[in-house]
Amino acid sequence: MTLVTAPTPGRPATVPTVAGSAAGPAQPLSRRRRGLPNAVLGLLGIVTFLTGWEAVPRVGLVSTQFLPPASAVLRTLADEMGRPAFWTAVGDTVVAWALGLAIAFAAAVVLGFVVGAVPALRAFTASTAEFLRPIPSVALIPLAALMFATDIRSTLMLVVYAAFWQVYIQVLYGVADIDPVAEDTARSYGLSRWSRVRHVAWPSALPYVLTGLRLGAAVALILAVTAELIIGSPGLGQSIAVAQSSGATADVYALVIATGALGVIVNIVVRVVERRLLRWHSSVRGEVTV
Amino acid sequence: MRRPLLALLSAAALLATTAACGGSSSDSGKGGTDKVTAGVIPIVDVAPIYLGKQQGFFSERGIDLTLQTGSGGAASVPGVVSGQYQFAFGNVTSLLVARDKNLPLKILTNGVSSIGVAGKDFGAVVVKGNSPITSAEDLVGKKVSVNNLQNIGDTTVRASVRKAGGDPSKVGFVELPFPDMPAALQNNRVDAAWVVEPFLTQSISQGARPVAWNFVDAAPNLTVATYFTSERMLKEKPDLVKRFTEAMNESLAYADAHPDEVRKILGTYTKIPAEVIADMTLPKYPTEVNRASVQTLADLAQQDGLVKNKPDVGALLSELG
Repeated sequence: MTLVTAPTPGRPATVPTVAGSAAGPAQPLSRRRRGLPNAVLGLLGIVTFLTGWEAVPRVGLVSTQFLPPASAVLRTLADEMGRPAFWTAVGDTVVAWALGLAIAFAAAVVLGFVVGAVPALRAFTASTAEFLRPIPSVALIPLAALMFATDIRSTLMLVVYAAFWQVYIQVLYGVADIDPVAEDTARSYGLSRWSRVRHVAWPSALPYVLTGLRLGAAVALILAVTAELIIGSPGLGQSIAVAQSSGATADVYALVIATGALGVIVNIVVRVVERRLLRWHSSVRGEVTV
Repeated sequence: MRRPLLALLSAAALLATTAACGGSSSDSGKGGTDKVTAGVIPIVDVAPIYLGKQQGFFSERGIDLTLQTGSGGAASVPGVVSGQYQFAFGNVTSLLVARDKNLPLKILTNGVSSIGVAGKDFGAVVVKGNSPITSAEDLVGKKVSVNNLQNIGDTTVRASVRKAGGDPSKVGFVELPFPDMPAALQNNRVDAAWVVEPFLTQSISQGARPVAWNFVDAAPNLTVATYFTSERMLKEKPDLVKRFTEAMNESLAYADAHPDEVRKILGTYTKIPAEVIADMTLPKYPTEVNRASVQTLADLAQQDGLVKNKPDVGALLSELG
């Protein structure tokens, strides 16, 4: 990314800088020392959780009919992972998620920059946005079911609506946060309107945009699975619904774990993207060196 | 099975969107094959359409059939109304309610029927093994779970109570998804649960005891659910509708005659455990819609206030059914 060439005045001043310039080279070492037990502790946490899960149904606290032991669920998950239908469902969910997030992200960034740049337009749309934003995406389920039935468009409608606001609001904040001194400096150096967007507005707003992307990515996955679960559009959520209506409890738990794993992967990927795009930014540099 | 609720919620939205998503039906081609999408629910009841597709009953009539499984049928009625589905599967009471909301739906052929014999049907009201409830009459003053309020479950359970001499208005109904009912019963969250297969077999294997066979009590050989289409399809593509109905009837007859194949195909579109599939009671799949039983469900729907107007059963049934 050529963002490193962004003029220093464009660096947003109000984004919290976690670590000051004091962060010396000694810090990473101490982090590594703490890192090892953390990983071990994390592993221990998972093992304890699984042992507890295994024990609760086995000692009869809960009927195995309603909560199969962890070993049975993990075995079912392994079986599922050997079936092409499982991967088709994962693929459907990922496609709906990615497509929905991409549409929402593109629309929110474009609209956010345009609306954010024109104060009158922002005032004009603010009340409408504030009215539409709190509408839960799930409230659109009857409408989605009516218009698109179990088509992927049903899922997209919910995903796009939910993810759009997450990004849009962040973009608006980001655009509002442009340092006026940087903007004036760019102006007095005779930068064109486009250059100012490219070198001042965009890098200033980018941390906000990427925060919006991270929030939107998580929400998009929740809504993708919800739409599949309730409406029955293809994907992991629908597989859960089928397993549920078949009374296949172990399958339900196995698929729920699969959606959880998908959520973890999505979060990791978005965080990596965020770090890469913002590696020049003090917040990320701070985060890395602390 | 949230059909009536959705139909209701959708009715208003429909008016706004009818123009937008008007003729979006996906079938095409003259003389060639018609692409058809049917909305079903991933349960035992729709085994014949899966079997018929597998046996080629649809393709040999020039129908390229795609089956879409909506969860709990949420999309069935709205899907057919908006033209996303050309055909769908839905229970009779839901369709009566939808028709009462002026949704232009038509029943084409039977979907699934009660076996008609108490003790052998695929749906029943069950109680915990040690419950003092022994008959439908004892349900008065008790909490009974059904999968949907104001639908085929509670109206037929009320019919059972009425038949046994109890006051059906004093039965308390709560809404719970079928899969949650066995657990709710075990944990005493409800006094009785109306369950259908595979949860009937599952509950009984956990010690539950059937006390009322509501489909049997409601009407002899009750038609529980049917395949339906929209009036627009019937008018615009009468030939396709006719071919679909014929293929469907052949599928139903085939399923009724080959229970082993029904059990086998269940493993392909549901996740019902193999041992449950082997044990569970299969419903009946006659090709004829039992008109008298549809009339009974219509009367029950009116009596229980599910519909505002007196249902016109003749208008709901197409001449093909």
